[in-house]
Amino acid sequence: MSTAVTENENQDVQQESSSEAIPTYDVTLKVRRYDPEFSEDAHWDEWQLTMYGTDRVLDALHKVKWELDGSLSFRRSCAHGVCGSDAMRINGRNRLACKTLLKDLDLDKPIMVEPIKGLPCEKDLIVDMEPFFQSYREIMPFLVNDDHEPTYERYQSQEDRERFDDTTKCILCAACTSSCPIFWTDGQYFGPAAIVNAHRFIFDSRDQAGDMRLEILNDKEGVWRCRTTFNCTEACPRGIQVTKAIAEVKKAVFASAL
Amino acid sequence: MSTPLKTKIQVPRSRDLEVNGVKYNRSGASRSNFEMLAWLFMRLSGIVLVVLVFGHLFVNLMVGEGVHAIDFGFVGGKWANPFWQVWDLVMLWLAMLHGTNGVRTIIDDYAERNVTRFWLKVLLFLASGFVILLGTLVIFTFDPCPAGADPELLASFCHTV
Amino acid sequence: MQVHKYDVVIVGAGGAGMRAAIESGQRARTAVLTKLYPTRSHTGAAQGGMCAALANVEEDNWEWHTFDTVKGGDYLVDQDAAEVMAKEAIDAVLDLEKMGLPFNRTPEGKIDQRRFGGHTRDHGKNPVRRACYAADRTGHMILQTLYQNCIKHNVEFYNEYYVLDLIMVDTPEGRRPAGVVSHDLATGELHVFQAKSVIFASGGAGKVFKTTSNAHTLTGDGMAIAFRAGLPLEDMEFVQFHPTGLAGLGILVSEAARGEGGILRNSDGERFMERYAPTIKDLAPRDIVARSMANEVREGRGCGPHKDYVLLDLTHLEPAHIDAKLPDITEFARTYLGVEPYTEPVPVFPTAHYCMGGIPTDIKGEVFQDSETTIPGLYAAGEVACVSVHGSNRLGTNSLLDINVFGKRAGIYAAEYARDAEFLPIPDNAAERTEALLDNARSGHGSEKVGAIRKDLQDTMDLNMQVFRTAETIEQCLADIAALEERYANISIQDQGKRFNLDLLEAVELGFLLQLAKVMSVAALHREESRGGHFREDFPDRDDEKFMLHSMVYEDPSSPTAGIRQETKPVIFTRYEPMERKY
Repeated sequence: MSTAVTENENQDVQQESSSEAIPTYDVTLKVRRYDPEFSEDAHWDEWQLTMYGTDRVLDALHKVKWELDGSLSFRRSCAHGVCGSDAMRINGRNRLACKTLLKDLDLDKPIMVEPIKGLPCEKDLIVDMEPFFQSYREIMPFLVNDDHEPTYERYQSQEDRERFDDTTKCILCAACTSSCPIFWTDGQYFGPAAIVNAHRFIFDSRDQAGDMRLEILNDKEGVWRCRTTFNCTEACPRGIQVTKAIAEVKKAVFASAL
Repeated sequence: MSTPLKTKIQVPRSRDLEVNGVKYNRSGASRSNFEMLAWLFMRLSGIVLVVLVFGHLFVNLMVGEGVHAIDFGFVGGKWANPFWQVWDLVMLWLAMLHGTNGVRTIIDDYAERNVTRFWLKVLLFLASGFVILLGTLVIFTFDPCPAGADPELLASFCHTV
Repeated sequence: MQVHKYDVVIVGAGGAGMRAAIESGQRARTAVLTKLYPTRSHTGAAQGGMCAALANVEEDNWEWHTFDTVKGGDYLVDQDAAEVMAKEAIDAVLDLEKMGLPFNRTPEGKIDQRRFGGHTRDHGKNPVRRACYAADRTGHMILQTLYQNCIKHNVEFYNEYYVLDLIMVDTPEGRRPAGVVSHDLATGELHVFQAKSVIFASGGAGKVFKTTSNAHTLTGDGMAIAFRAGLPLEDMEFVQFHPTGLAGLGILVSEAARGEGGILRNSDGERFMERYAPTIKDLAPRDIVARSMANEVREGRGCGPHKDYVLLDLTHLEPAHIDAKLPDITEFARTYLGVEPYTEPVPVFPTAHYCMGGIPTDIKGEVFQDSETTIPGLYAAGEVACVSVHGSNRLGTNSLLDINVFGKRAGIYAAEYARDAEFLPIPDNAAERTEALLDNARSGHGSEKVGAIRKDLQDTMDLNMQVFRTAETIEQCLADIAALEERYANISIQDQGKRFNLDLLEAVELGFLLQLAKVMSVAALHREESRGGHFREDFPDRDDEKFMLHSMVYEDPSSPTAGIRQETKPVIFTRYEPMERKY
């Protein structure tokens, strides 16, 4: 490919664009701080920040961490809503910090950021995810098929593939499980995320262990603890119809038990 | 506005055991459909209760003279009829079981310690059992025409006997 | 300090790490160390697909795939490795399907395939449908499926363990790995993992750039650790800039958008790729499209108030088609730019995406210690490695293929090596260097902040080392990095705790980034030609006479160029002679 050599014009353009005015916001960010190494008590810290354009809550947290208080601790990775690291409670609702645009929040009031509820808080916005993954592991989240392996792929019709499409989107961020009032009480309920991932396999036409998963979820702590409060559906950053998936699993438990 | 931070939680379903080095918590404990049946019962009994309760209210409050007709005699009259005996008995049982199961799940949801949970449930079951037994006993052994009572207050058929 | 003993230790739990773990976990006692949770790895952000010549929807064969890979990499590809990858691609896809990956299906129920940049039929004739996909979440599905199978096979994960050093010991046969040193984020304690085989699968280093599709955590730890342990890094000047990042943000918009029919337009509404790649137009390889876009912008045909981006037009596609095939990226456009892709074109601009270079390995995944000999027991796979199947420019989808094919190979060979090998003794001072590294960062009382230095580094890299480079800009970049290194020696961190001290680890990661930025710049300075992802405006042509060679860089304080010594390694040719690269 031939490209005309023009001295550093590209750079000039970049510099110009960064100097142009983009909308700015004055934001008050309040974060619940907790570090048992220094104090057993949690407290709220507050910062005034100037943020820009399409900045997200994660950008505000980064600004604090990188410029004001390096000890503020939170998890994050991809920063565009596919890795599921930064689920937190923002203004009382479970959301991903990287998917929550500041301009969509009411900026007249402080933005309140807390760790997700129901899982043990380790430090600031970091919680212990082990109990969550424990539930996930228990529903056997993997394809089981003991038939003779075909030389080529297993066939699956487009309709059969569509049947469980919604629940394949789960990124295991725990926003749903930690928004569930039943999970908050004692952390023993399997929780929406585990059920969603069971759903993904129960309704996969290639899988053969559906009955085992249904048996697991017919447990005292299984699907029957769901009170259909729909918190999980509202919290899901991937737009999965979580409560509907749970209802479908309930129906399947009936179908297999009766 | 702030909610208390949880800093510890019990390992989920901590009866966990390791089978062949695989760490699922699927215990060998007896599997039952109790929770499923309880869930189903709540839905079905709910539907039946709507009919029973509104039927009950309609007959007691709207038909004839309505609420002004209710007195000892009215109740006595109803319970002399096997139809109303069965109606009220079913309503009593379903309402009590429905309510008890509802409170049981609330206890399961909100009592954090196993001991608390156990004793609250013992209390609940005792209370419910008492009410159900007492109610059943009353429906079946109710005497609409007690001897020596003021005839003014009794059902009309008492006088004909 | 705790010591753990495993046959195989895998550093990183993305696609390559977990694919390796599935293999080695069934053959040897395996531990996977990750600085995140496995499902947070950036494999999950890959969107478009994974190419394999299944020929499910049209005629195709793996030899064409090999050719496309070699040509796409501007002939700097080791052709034996490309053959292995294209041939094993078919099994890699079928393996994933059998593990449960929910691919999109054809009406007959087979795995569906779609077009992707640079993938052609019959040696460049026209685009071919080769990419197996699951909507625009293929990477997500691969990551989830691999994690699910790791659970199935009971793989042991150490989550949030930052590996900070590789322990190499001298034996009569040469240098061998003895284990790794890691920092447990939750407690702040050091853990030494003694191992017979070590596999690096820790991903790329996109965070040296400001505009990048990479995660915040992609700081090139594995590459920098290997480099500090005296190992070479190969072809580090080649960084892929993905043409379609959301303008200003760098968030990836999959090439699948163009594979499904999306068109790039400049401010005149012209489909400008017709001028640059008349045959396959918008589906030309990424380096060409990215450069064409940057060229449109600097010749004044950019869009927007500052004329600093071009447009990706999907408006002629049916909304139902977009929803079925590209649901996530349209959501990104809506969420982050407020643009409705059904009716408006999406502003896009190139974003740093992938390091073609990395730790040099052979086709078994075994790491080279110089241009000839490998180190048995030490493996690398995925973006951290350079096999080299991507040469100077990776074709779209070939990274998902790379992690599966070479992840699997590394896992098998590492386990096989561990079966016969003995544990090597861990030296008493094994953790000393890591302790010093952390103590230095923790006890610094300087005035510099990690965030500020990193921002300046990313700014200078974006300005001087992006799509267009000259000797002048690269030297400017090196000078800036030298200044930043001085500032780095003078940092202080605020978090003085032990638990979850991410402040401390960001400081360590910045050290890795500085080092890798320097490596990339030095390698770019040496390569006085333009090839694939490396475009020198002062040397705009490919120069096969002088530079048909892999560059190998080593840490060497005595070297005049920023303490980095440059050597070369020959490219392996099997069937294809270099030709001019036209599309």
